[in-house]
Amino acid sequence: MTARHLAVAAAVALALSGAPSRAAAQAGDAGAGKAVYERKCAGCHGEKGDGKGPAAELLAPKPRDFTAGLYKIRSTANKVPTDQDLFRIITAGMPGTSMPAWAVLPERDRRNVLAYIKTFAAEKLKEAPKKVELPKEVASSAESIKRGKEMFEAIECHKCHGTEGRADGPSHAELKDEWGNPLPPANLTKRWTFRGGAGRTEIAMRLANGVLGTPMPAFLDSVEKPEDIWHLTNFILSLGPESPNYATLVTVTAVAGPLPDDPNAELWKNLAPNNIALMGQVIVDPRNFNPSIDLVSVRAAYNDTEIAFHLTWDDPTQSVDEPAKKLFADAISLQFPPQITAGGERPYFLMGDGSDGVYLLRWENGKGVSEATANGPAKIGAIAGGEARGKAAYANGRYRLVIKRPLASKDAARPTFTPAVFTPIAFQAWDGGAGETGTKMSVTSWYYLRLEEPQSNRRFVIPPVVAILTLAAMLLVVRIAKGRA
Amino acid sequence: MRKALGVLLAVALVAGVALVAYRPGPAGAQGGGTIEAAVTFAGAPVIEKLKVNKDTEKCGTETAIEKVVVGPNKGLANAVVSVAGAKGAPTAKKATVDQHGCKFVPHVLAMMPGEIEVKNSDDILHNIHTYSTANASINKAQPKFKKVMTEKFEKPEIIKITCDVHSWMLGWVAVMPHPFFGVTDASGATKIENVPPGKYTIEVWHETLGKQTKEVEVKAGQTAKVAIEMKK
Repeated sequence: MTARHLAVAAAVALALSGAPSRAAAQAGDAGAGKAVYERKCAGCHGEKGDGKGPAAELLAPKPRDFTAGLYKIRSTANKVPTDQDLFRIITAGMPGTSMPAWAVLPERDRRNVLAYIKTFAAEKLKEAPKKVELPKEVASSAESIKRGKEMFEAIECHKCHGTEGRADGPSHAELKDEWGNPLPPANLTKRWTFRGGAGRTEIAMRLANGVLGTPMPAFLDSVEKPEDIWHLTNFILSLGPESPNYATLVTVTAVAGPLPDDPNAELWKNLAPNNIALMGQVIVDPRNFNPSIDLVSVRAAYNDTEIAFHLTWDDPTQSVDEPAKKLFADAISLQFPPQITAGGERPYFLMGDGSDGVYLLRWENGKGVSEATANGPAKIGAIAGGEARGKAAYANGRYRLVIKRPLASKDAARPTFTPAVFTPIAFQAWDGGAGETGTKMSVTSWYYLRLEEPQSNRRFVIPPVVAILTLAAMLLVVRIAKGRA
Repeated sequence: MRKALGVLLAVALVAGVALVAYRPGPAGAQGGGTIEAAVTFAGAPVIEKLKVNKDTEKCGTETAIEKVVVGPNKGLANAVVSVAGAKGAPTAKKATVDQHGCKFVPHVLAMMPGEIEVKNSDDILHNIHTYSTANASINKAQPKFKKVMTEKFEKPEIIKITCDVHSWMLGWVAVMPHPFFGVTDASGATKIENVPPGKYTIEVWHETLGKQTKEVEVKAGQTAKVAIEMKK
């Protein structure tokens, strides 16, 4: 046998073993996919694939109705997505929605379920997918971002997405999907919630191609030059961080001077944010399955007498109490145990309970800052003689708020903040414009707050003194030893 | 023999060309009839007024969604009248819909399959979003600098058009398989000309009031008047 024979034999063997199985994996087996679908997908998407599973009514956006054959995320010019488009969504999920990433399932299962899902609209998906060709990629640069911003303004992205991209544009509240369900625009500063992924190509494809079944139109033919798609992509990527980098500990910085009331003061810009994730309150009725506020950035500082919290969060509308219109005041609260005890048990995270209450630092749009105690979300009582103050600013879909309070407490209802002590803290937030009030809110569980120790001069004094004393002792020892000798 | 065949062929060719060139079809040549339709609605007009919260310099401060427009003598505007089952060659008339004052003008357009010119004379962003099943649905942005876009509706169907930026904007395009159609004016009237003589069913479609039909006989060179009353 020559080397050539061997090579041919190897190629044949490879073709026999590898290729068919790979092809089968690519195509997927709809019959096998049915079992996976019924176990993993039917709860939301329904047994018939019509998007009417038992969980559907609680979800927003609604689960996909596969019988319509209409898919939001696609890289094609026609309605029909490629298998890779669908496989990507099954694998990576849809961030910001209830669709999880199914990367935990073996690839074969995901391929099979894909094949099964397509059978719900076989007639509508029989056309061949037509790939969209993106213009030649333009790397990010200050110039490209500048051009992207110009284009962002020229094509009026702000109409829905807002001037700074925080989903607060004048049309944001009216948008609906093709089934008539309300559908807010994407918050462009939170890239990690982009439904179709946050990669460069993915963002460019959404811009070029639109999001099918939603108000987001295709822009490929509607920009001045094709490469503007990439300038826009680069601009959008410049609007926010890549990931929220959630904090686990809220650090309070020691400051020598006064703490500014102004939420736009320089001090706050210089402090790093501690980003806290919020979730809907789903324990007590009425529940909030689709919370509006999912992130609060906390900056905190203290001096000899006071502690100040600077909070930033996105809210597309500034609203006050107007119950007739089902609008309520936007609000936020910081929660602490009334007393901080080392290693002590914390009250129930959801605003305490009958036996263990919590202390709240609250801010409400139109009413300002107040101090309160709570024994559960329905039992909130104001504390007389509150000493907390605050100031809020709202611009372009974002609140910035400063809440200040003396470090030391006057009574047992409120805690004293002490440096270097791990202090439990939790957060609650309400977007009144989205109808959130009472138990319809965003919550967190307990986090810890730590006032960093003040930097004293002792660290410059004590080590040299110790060094000198040690040297003196050594010299003394040497001298005594010499004397004996 | 061969010569005779050549002459015959030439005659046939000329006739064929003449036939194709003469639009709309052979009926006109033989003197087709005219249908004058009068569509009425006895009920009250349905016009939803709403306050505009954006682009007020272009859209005005108040706008109206005209769901049922009733003119003098109960005349119903914006109804599509067509001759069901008729056949005819396409007209050369270009279909155009404009976005003007944050409204689709005309509100209801009827056309034969083919290209449609979508204009934006507002100098602000609109997006043309169609709801269709037979044709591919379109959702394309039309920023202020994109004055005209050309789209295609190739299959007969009634298509709803919206703009997501201005949620009140609503328009309809009726794509008809033949050239015998009209859209009623403010008095509820429309005229369909050059209809080949014969007995037909007239079909009336209205966005809110649905469909009605009526039988009519068209005679060459004559005008057939049809009165159709739409009901809820």
